[in-house]
Amino acid sequence: MPRHGQPVRRRLFAASLAIGALFATDLSAQGADGQGFDLEERRQEHWAWQQLQTAKTAPDAPPTVDGFIRARLTATGLSPAAPAAPHTALRRLWLDLVGLPPAPETVRAFVADPSEAAWNAQVDVLLDSPQFGERWARHWLDLVRYAETLGHEFDFPLPNAWRYRDYVIRAFNADLPYDQFLREHVAGDLLPEPRRNENGENESVQATAAWWFVEQTHSPVDARQHQADRIDNQIDVLGKAMLGMTVACARCHDHKFDAISQADYYSLFGFVKSSRYVQAPIAPADTTSPTYRDARAGHHRLAQIWASTAAPANPRWDTLQRAHPERWSASTAIGALRAGDRMIASAATPDTGWHHTNDAFGAAPWRGPWCPDPTSDKPELHLLPGAFWHSGIAGRRREGTLATDTFEISERYLHVRAAGRQARLVVIVDGFHVVRDPIYGGLNRRVDRAEPQWFTFDLKAWLGRPAVLHCIDQVAHDIGDPIYQKESNWPTDGWLAVAAVVGSDDEEPPPAELGLRLPYRPWDTAPAAVQQRLDGLAAAQAALPAPSPTLPALADSSGSDEQLYIRGNHRTPGARQPRRFLSALAGNEPMSIRRGSGRLELADAILAPDNPLPTRTIVNRIWHHLFGRGLSRSVDNLGVLGDPPTHPDLLDWLARDFVAHGWSIKHTIRRIVRSATYRQSSRSRTDGERTDPANLLLHRQNVRRLEAEAVRDSLLAVSGELQNELYGPSIPIPHESVTHARGKPRRSGPIDGDGRRSVYLAVRRNFMPPMLHAFDLPTPFAPVGRRSVSNVPAQALTLLNDPFVHLMCERWADRLLAAPAADLEARISQAWQTAFARAPRADELQRVREFLRAAVAADGTTIADAAPWRALLHCLVNTKEFTFRR
Amino acid sequence: MSYGPASDLRAALAGSRPTPSRREVLRAAANGFAMLPLADLVHSGGGGNSHGGNRHHPARAKNVIFLYMDGGPSTVDLFDYKPRLEADHGKPFAMPMEPTQFQNNGNTLGPRWKFRQRGESGQWISDLLPHLATQADRLCVIRSVVANFSEHTNANYFLHTGHGLQGRPSMGAWIGYGLGSDNQNLPSFVVLNGGLVPPGGIDCFHSGFLPPATQGSLFRMAGDPLANIRAREQNPTLQRRKVDLVQALDSAGLTNEGGAAEIEAAIRNHELAFAMQRDVPELTDLSNESPRLLSMYGLDDDYEQTRIYGRQCLLARRLVERGVRFVELTCPNTGFDRWDQHNKLDRGLPKNCHMIDQPIAALLTDLEARGLLDETIVLFGGEFGRTPFAQGSNGRDHNPFGFTMWLAGGGFRPGTSYGSTDDYGYKAVENPVEIHDIHATILHQLGIDHERLTYRFGGRDLRLTDVYGHVLAPLLA
Repeated sequence: MPRHGQPVRRRLFAASLAIGALFATDLSAQGADGQGFDLEERRQEHWAWQQLQTAKTAPDAPPTVDGFIRARLTATGLSPAAPAAPHTALRRLWLDLVGLPPAPETVRAFVADPSEAAWNAQVDVLLDSPQFGERWARHWLDLVRYAETLGHEFDFPLPNAWRYRDYVIRAFNADLPYDQFLREHVAGDLLPEPRRNENGENESVQATAAWWFVEQTHSPVDARQHQADRIDNQIDVLGKAMLGMTVACARCHDHKFDAISQADYYSLFGFVKSSRYVQAPIAPADTTSPTYRDARAGHHRLAQIWASTAAPANPRWDTLQRAHPERWSASTAIGALRAGDRMIASAATPDTGWHHTNDAFGAAPWRGPWCPDPTSDKPELHLLPGAFWHSGIAGRRREGTLATDTFEISERYLHVRAAGRQARLVVIVDGFHVVRDPIYGGLNRRVDRAEPQWFTFDLKAWLGRPAVLHCIDQVAHDIGDPIYQKESNWPTDGWLAVAAVVGSDDEEPPPAELGLRLPYRPWDTAPAAVQQRLDGLAAAQAALPAPSPTLPALADSSGSDEQLYIRGNHRTPGARQPRRFLSALAGNEPMSIRRGSGRLELADAILAPDNPLPTRTIVNRIWHHLFGRGLSRSVDNLGVLGDPPTHPDLLDWLARDFVAHGWSIKHTIRRIVRSATYRQSSRSRTDGERTDPANLLLHRQNVRRLEAEAVRDSLLAVSGELQNELYGPSIPIPHESVTHARGKPRRSGPIDGDGRRSVYLAVRRNFMPPMLHAFDLPTPFAPVGRRSVSNVPAQALTLLNDPFVHLMCERWADRLLAAPAADLEARISQAWQTAFARAPRADELQRVREFLRAAVAADGTTIADAAPWRALLHCLVNTKEFTFRR
Repeated sequence: MSYGPASDLRAALAGSRPTPSRREVLRAAANGFAMLPLADLVHSGGGGNSHGGNRHHPARAKNVIFLYMDGGPSTVDLFDYKPRLEADHGKPFAMPMEPTQFQNNGNTLGPRWKFRQRGESGQWISDLLPHLATQADRLCVIRSVVANFSEHTNANYFLHTGHGLQGRPSMGAWIGYGLGSDNQNLPSFVVLNGGLVPPGGIDCFHSGFLPPATQGSLFRMAGDPLANIRAREQNPTLQRRKVDLVQALDSAGLTNEGGAAEIEAAIRNHELAFAMQRDVPELTDLSNESPRLLSMYGLDDDYEQTRIYGRQCLLARRLVERGVRFVELTCPNTGFDRWDQHNKLDRGLPKNCHMIDQPIAALLTDLEARGLLDETIVLFGGEFGRTPFAQGSNGRDHNPFGFTMWLAGGGFRPGTSYGSTDDYGYKAVENPVEIHDIHATILHQLGIDHERLTYRFGGRDLRLTDVYGHVLAPLLA
């Protein structure tokens, strides 16, 4: 095994020494302790740290969006644009709010009555439609670099990541108050009263999946470096997505520009380091349910009666029991620890040192010595002397993960006493949980024997490092394990029993009831009294619900602070940094943390009423999505290097209004899209181009290219192929569309993605959906609040030649021809309404008639055939009117 | 907004050039592949030969061909001749061993194939590369390269992007960003995909935070080189009619709804795509190359992988000829897991050498004959080398501590060697060269100061060379 703390070294050479010296200078100039860096001065000088201002308006003119915008326009001698044409405004509203074009009937009705009331009604319909969440969730997914795989060499799947996508869609559709949304992201697993849906499923915990959309190396030579890089990315998301601040810039030194110290960074580091990866169940825990208790208690009684009434099954057992009675009592079955042994966790002392992340192991350990063997359908008793955490007592389909406290690896060997089937023991060092070959294979052991044995791990390479032992009886837990890449390989009926975790200098495990094939009692030796109980027990087991669905989530480890890494190098640790929030907002005092990671307290600090960052950040993002440009353009960075807001008073008013209305995103959207500013025309004007060429003052609406998802979803919508089904596992992308490389998904998907909206297409880091990628779906590695809007030939080539685009035009042509139409003009008009939400103009009609005539002639077809219409519709989707919203 | 990169570009250009207006940027963006040398756009109107005109300093070269050897070739068997390694074959390895990926380290493993001195320069090259050996006097060999990572993916990201994690722009993207393309109808960065995509995936060729137009376009070697490049509409009359109708509707749209720079840019982009439908298939059509030349590249070789790689090398020349800035070749699959010979070294290494040997020699000869070698940098190398001690009995593990890469053309000093490893070829001891140094030197030859080619992202001005890199003056002619 490679030694840790000894990665490939680069600074061997004179050239690098010079750089080192440069950094040393840097460090002394602005020390880690804040010397030469006046955080308070920076805080005071930059707008974003200041409290939200109250709008100063006359009492008879309450603040409005239009009021703020017009004030600046008037001051510059500009006037707002005229209202956009009703069909233009309506198409804009649909594309912005639900990411789809309006249906022709909707357009006709609105154009017939484009009143204020009709507009407001459209706004409400769209905000209430499930498609709203599908579009706006995607904006958030960009911020948390949502992906369903881990990237790197083999692009391992992150099991059940898609459930997070559905969580976000539900949250947006339900208009979950944004403060609650953030709280769930920071500490959804810790809330005393988690939010539950109508099925009783835990919603809150699901938000914490966002922490795990981080790239994961397999077999990093230096796990600690990997942890530092991972947490850097996680802090980057916290900082940019929630706070609009580039907190992660303070990893190696105090922030170069903002009021964020390097100490702040490592204070936050501690919260993340004190948390770990689990597949969290979302179904309500059933350890307290009568069926669960019945099943567990039933087994207990069964074992007792059987053991006390039956004759010994194996004479060796009696001999053994007489010779060493102390070994078989529940508390001492492990025997005496030797010098150099350390009990890290024992089921005999269940109240300390253990963390449950599921219900399977029950509220208390099983105390033997006889135990029903869940492997077999027929009940057999086998010998499990001592106390064992046992996941199979109530039924072997119970699933869960049991973890130890974080412990330092201070002995070379780790001995774990365990039995089970299709289960695993995984040592997580430095939070690295993609535990597999070539380097980490020895830390991931399969348990597949019903008789208890010692599992011995050699941890020589990781001495001194913090670790957690995960005892896992759970499908989908083990990302990176090839057997879990295929769902059909997932075992659901394994079980695991764990008695003790012992650190030791000795390669030999401590003495225990070792060395003999342990006796068991087969079913046919069971007395009648036992057999009578069985029917009821079987019924109780059958009544237990199926294993809970799970998803990646956070769970607490033992809480611990991190040391500041001098120059960002984990090999040069400095002073310990007590966990707390940014000092510019919450001061330098360590946070009072009740237990564990402290994320509950961190969530409180982030959402403190005097922290202006989360609200300014979110309302600025909403504005960005409705105008194509935030009031501050740099939506992920409101710091010194970001763009100052064009309308700071409007930004603050929107933020206060947002809070006053229950942190409601829908409220703020409604507020904005009802304004004349949103509804005005996007047509450029000479005076505006001269005075306000970048349209910073919003003298008109902006022209915007549709986002990747809206391009593809529009094609589905106009062709009639769009399926309105919500949620569920992602649709694989077609194999032929991606380059062959390692980790290529096993399953290929249909060209049309089953008509599902783009948000449901699989997001695999190394195999991004090519069409969406061409239209700037971001690579998921860092928060992207403002997508690039590129203009590359791949986009035009896609619209010209991609099989999906042609398929949509074919289906659209078939539908168009199947629908009744009075004449040619009516049919053309219907196509126009569908594509552009308007009727064709006379010159367009004329051109299309000529085109269809020529197409028929060129092809030898007739106007009743689909071919000329396919060609026409293909032209329509290639026009810029189709892919832009005005 | 689509003019997003503009302010960043301004920063990149350090205020030394006029600030383009938003409309200029958008118009420029319509040039698609040539979009980004804002310098060129502002100074020469967005087209034409930009060579040497707007660099930080006079350029010595225009183009780069990167012969990327996926998996980490065993340069102790190919270029880095060590008599001591030969002599100690089979003995316990005499130096302390660093941790390796598989930690299954055996004894000293000497090269199985004979080394000879070649050409007037007397460079040592193995008998495994007889054709390349004839090119010895063209090669500038660096025998002391070190890398920061010993696993493939990190090392590949590092070699390509100067950073060990996913998400940074590739060297080809940086160069396209800095210099643009001399061909308006082709991407500035083309990856000729022989069949294997390296660990790390296509992100090795990505634009990262740079504008997407700079990312490497993967050209396939079988079928159509680019996705959706072949016009689906087979009827030329109808095709013409469709083009006309789209143009008519688009221009009517501008008339009726008012001009919009974004839309005008997209219209021109659409026209560019039409041009590519014509030019890209022409590019890959080798029917006008002479049979003698095809044979020189190995296109008639018995070994299929040699034929594929020969075709890649020939296409690389054709791309460079057409003004494509950066061409990277990935390897075909020899069935021995790239150059990653953890085992079966005696079989895998000869296969890989046979695959690339004749094509690369032909490429150098052909570039020279056409006067292109002088302005084209050819870079040969993998993400790391391999250990001088065995993994198992017939393999070598990863070795980032000292390995060989070579350059040719583009103003690199021909027929020379630079740096050296210890007596076993294990670790660089004399003039160690870092990947960042190679990046810096290539940029330098292209007329770019690696410390001034920056892009603001996430609050920092980022570079290909991060905060490292030194131009290797001794390598330059």
